[in-house]
Amino acid sequence: MEGLKLDFLSSTALESLTSMEKISMIVDRVKNGELMVIEGGLSPEEEAELIETTMREIDVEEFVGIDIFTLEKDQRSFFGLSKKKTVGLTVIGPANIMRAVKKKSNFLSMIAEFGDSGASVH
Amino acid sequence: MRNFFRKFFNKLLRRDKKLKIGLYGHPNSGKTTLANTMANDWLGKPIGLVSNVPHETRSVYRQERVSIQQDGVELDFDIIDTPGIATKVDYKNFLEYGLSEEEAKGRAKEATKGIIEAIKWLDDVTGVLLVMDSSIDPLTQANITIIGNLEARNIPFVIVANKIDMEEANPDRIISVFPQHTVVPISALRGENTGELYMSMVRKFK
Repeated sequence: MEGLKLDFLSSTALESLTSMEKISMIVDRVKNGELMVIEGGLSPEEEAELIETTMREIDVEEFVGIDIFTLEKDQRSFFGLSKKKTVGLTVIGPANIMRAVKKKSNFLSMIAEFGDSGASVH
Repeated sequence: MRNFFRKFFNKLLRRDKKLKIGLYGHPNSGKTTLANTMANDWLGKPIGLVSNVPHETRSVYRQERVSIQQDGVELDFDIIDTPGIATKVDYKNFLEYGLSEEEAKGRAKEATKGIIEAIKWLDDVTGVLLVMDSSIDPLTQANITIIGNLEARNIPFVIVANKIDMEEANPDRIISVFPQHTVVPISALRGENTGELYMSMVRKFK
């Protein structure tokens, strides 16, 4: 059975990188078939840049793009009066491997499939 | 109906800055159908081709200078119809729609360029209609990324819960997922509830 490499990166490891360095690292690894689990999330601008970079790297035969999923958690304000969601974990992997995901508040479930499983349009 | 649109235009005419409304969303969410409905309502003619095959719109289409003149005031109103934003483009999906492999690969390459162009246009639009298909799960990375970028850039937007004419449509799911945003359920195809959408646009973009 073919193996799946998972890389876990702490937010501290990402802090020292520029946005471009982060995106290049993510795209390089995902193109190589690896799945990345990042503590925290990317900024909206970084997410948009990641999609742009992915589109430039898509090769119709070998690399069809990425899937990104986030696990959000509730965070209470200082006085506990209001609640907002923050990104706890971000999972990024090749679109042809990450096939099915169920996502609820504070819960993320995903299946990695090997072989030519294809990718949906979204 | 004519009076309604006259009132709508009158509200828009009070604006002194150029209004560029970008239509954003997933492939096949109905952006071009909505752009055509808007153009038909306001200009009397459609502006783009639509089809069931995803990524039909693969470059940004701009309906420039929708010049409305009333009471001596002119408004330049642009509709920016953008290609659907996705994190992946697999040419094999297009084969299901009867395209040859060569056509499907060509379409996939064009789609990737279109997505880049759509993202670049976020720097230029002054308001956005984020079009979602009511029959599918709205909580996708593309929608989250678009909303995050609109908020970060302070671009006002209205979420359009499209395709309410479909049996499996569930616009309430979109409303529950994005409770802090304005969501208007419509059918762009049948022109259902578009009047409410136009009023929401006036309120949000004025």
